[in-house]
This record gives sequence, C-alpha cells and structure tokens, in this order.
Amino acid sequence: MKWTKMDMEKYIDAKEFVDTLLIPLSPFKMGDDTSLEKDAFQQEVLHLFVHEIEQQLAGRLLLIPSYMYLKDADKEAEVKRIQLFLEDAQKQPIEHVFYITFDASWRKHENELQGNVLWVPSIQTGDLKSKEVQSLIGDQVEQLSEYIRSYW
Amino acid sequence: MSEKKQQVSRRQFLNYTLTGVGGFMAAGMLVPMLRMAVDPVLQTSEEGDLKSVDLSVDDITNEPQLVEWKIDQVDGWYESEVTKSAWVFKDDNGDIIAHSPVCKHLGCNVTWEGSEKYPNEYFCPCHDGRYYKDGTNVPGTPPLAPLDEFDQKVENGMLYLGKAKPREEA
Repeated sequence: MKWTKMDMEKYIDAKEFVDTLLIPLSPFKMGDDTSLEKDAFQQEVLHLFVHEIEQQLAGRLLLIPSYMYLKDADKEAEVKRIQLFLEDAQKQPIEHVFYITFDASWRKHENELQGNVLWVPSIQTGDLKSKEVQSLIGDQVEQLSEYIRSYW
Repeated sequence: MSEKKQQVSRRQFLNYTLTGVGGFMAAGMLVPMLRMAVDPVLQTSEEGDLKSVDLSVDDITNEPQLVEWKIDQVDGWYESEVTKSAWVFKDDNGDIIAHSPVCKHLGCNVTWEGSEKYPNEYFCPCHDGRYYKDGTNVPGTPPLAPLDEFDQKVENGMLYLGKAKPREEA
C-alpha cells in the first residue's frame, strides 16, 4: 500500500494484515554540481524500485514517503530521528521494518536502526527507459521481494 | 436610389440583428447541453483497447505462464506507461484463459504454483491466499472472490488482452 488517500482507506479496514513498513532513505544535496545529476538519477531509480516492490507485495507492505536527509549529515542524529518516526509508526500493528537505500554509509549504522537495511548497489547512470536498465531493476525487485517475504 | 435604401427598414434591421444575436446565445447554451447529453458516445475508450501481448496462440499451454505487456495509462493528471501482467493458459476445453495476477484479498501479486505446498494452485505470498486453476478462490483462505479475467481476442494467431473483469461468484 502506498501513502495515498485511496490506500489509506483500505489500510484502516485491513491493518491487521499489513505488518511491514518500507522506508526509502534518500540522500539529498544541492550544493555540489558534480553530483546533482547522479543523485537525481538515483532518486528516480529508488522511486521506481520501491513502487515495483510495493506492487508485488501491496497487501502486506506499506510504503511510506521517503526519508530525506542531507548527504553528509551526521548519521547518528538521523538514526535518532528515524527512531522517532518508528515509535510513532508502531502505534499501528507493524512487525517488520525495512529500509531501502543506495547509500552504503547506512550499513555502518545497521545495528542502531530498528529493522533491516536493504542496501542495493546502485545503478550509476543510464536511461530508465532502456530495456537493460528495466530488466536489471526487474531482477533486483524480484530478489528483494523474495528477501522481504522470507521474513514473513 | 431612395427606394433601394428603404429595402431594409430600421425595424427589420433591428429584428434581424436581435434574432441573430439571440440565435447565437441560444446555440451557445444548447451546444454544451447537447454535448453533455451524448457525452458517453464522444468519450474515447481508453481501457477497452485490446493490446497485443506478443504471445502466439500456439505457445499457450495447459500450464499458466506469466505474460507482460505495456499500456499507456491516463491516470488523472499523469499519462504513463504501465506494465500489466497476466497468467495465460488453455483450459481443458482448449479455451484461452487470462487471469489477472492481482490477489482479490489486498492486491498482492499471485504466482502459479508459488508455494511448493500447494501444487496446481495460484498462491499469494502475502497472506497465503490460494486459488484453483480456474481462478476460484480456495475456501478458508483470505481471498473472498475469484481472480479477475482479462478481456481477450485472437487475431492472426496472436493473443490480445484488454481489461481485467471481475468474475461472477463461483
């Protein structure tokens, strides 16, 4: 389910079936010209990714809006903030939490975060409309859904 | 000369002008009303279109296989390309059946023989929903309705699929 009015209507009636939270972690940084293009592209890919996963597992997984943070921000502080998000989310019957990100620096903080970090090796650049990129994403989505399912 | 000038009298001129302007105004009001009355006729059918799924009828077996195809979907403000998928097979009578993979419980994607425990059934990984091969939901599992079926046609030996339609309660 997605963070939309329509899905939330369904969620309220079926929340006991939805026990998994998917949180995309998206870095953001305007200041540096050299990385703008790459960052934006990765953000696009991540968006595609999570929507594909959501489509596969719509009935049990809730995709919430991306958690945005400044790329070079102190991760300790971000972990604390995410914790606050989760504490609130856990007022609902949530059992599994997955973070999905291209940012490898989260791996170091995996243990401090409640839930599982799915770090995906990113696609550096390319054309989202090209067949190769699409099939690559398709394969990875397949594997990630499999992985999430293994926790159920 | 003076007779010719009198051919259109002031009264007539005003009459013509008023009728003309009045006519325009009436038309301006009536045309949208008429359009509204026949609106369903004017609407282009976007969903009714059947699209080729690039699958030859000869390649369809008794075993459901997953086919994917792309449609242009106009969704409010966005026009986007959306990938659709279906499980396609021939039933015992040789008729082609195309099931929607969307679980009728909460909308996950079901897989044919998705669980080793339940051969010959569709399986939904989210809440263990199951469907028989004909799409009927297995009683006692979460789904309460059979899988949707796609509108379909065969042209030049190729399969075309349209919109998924709910089936009557079995």
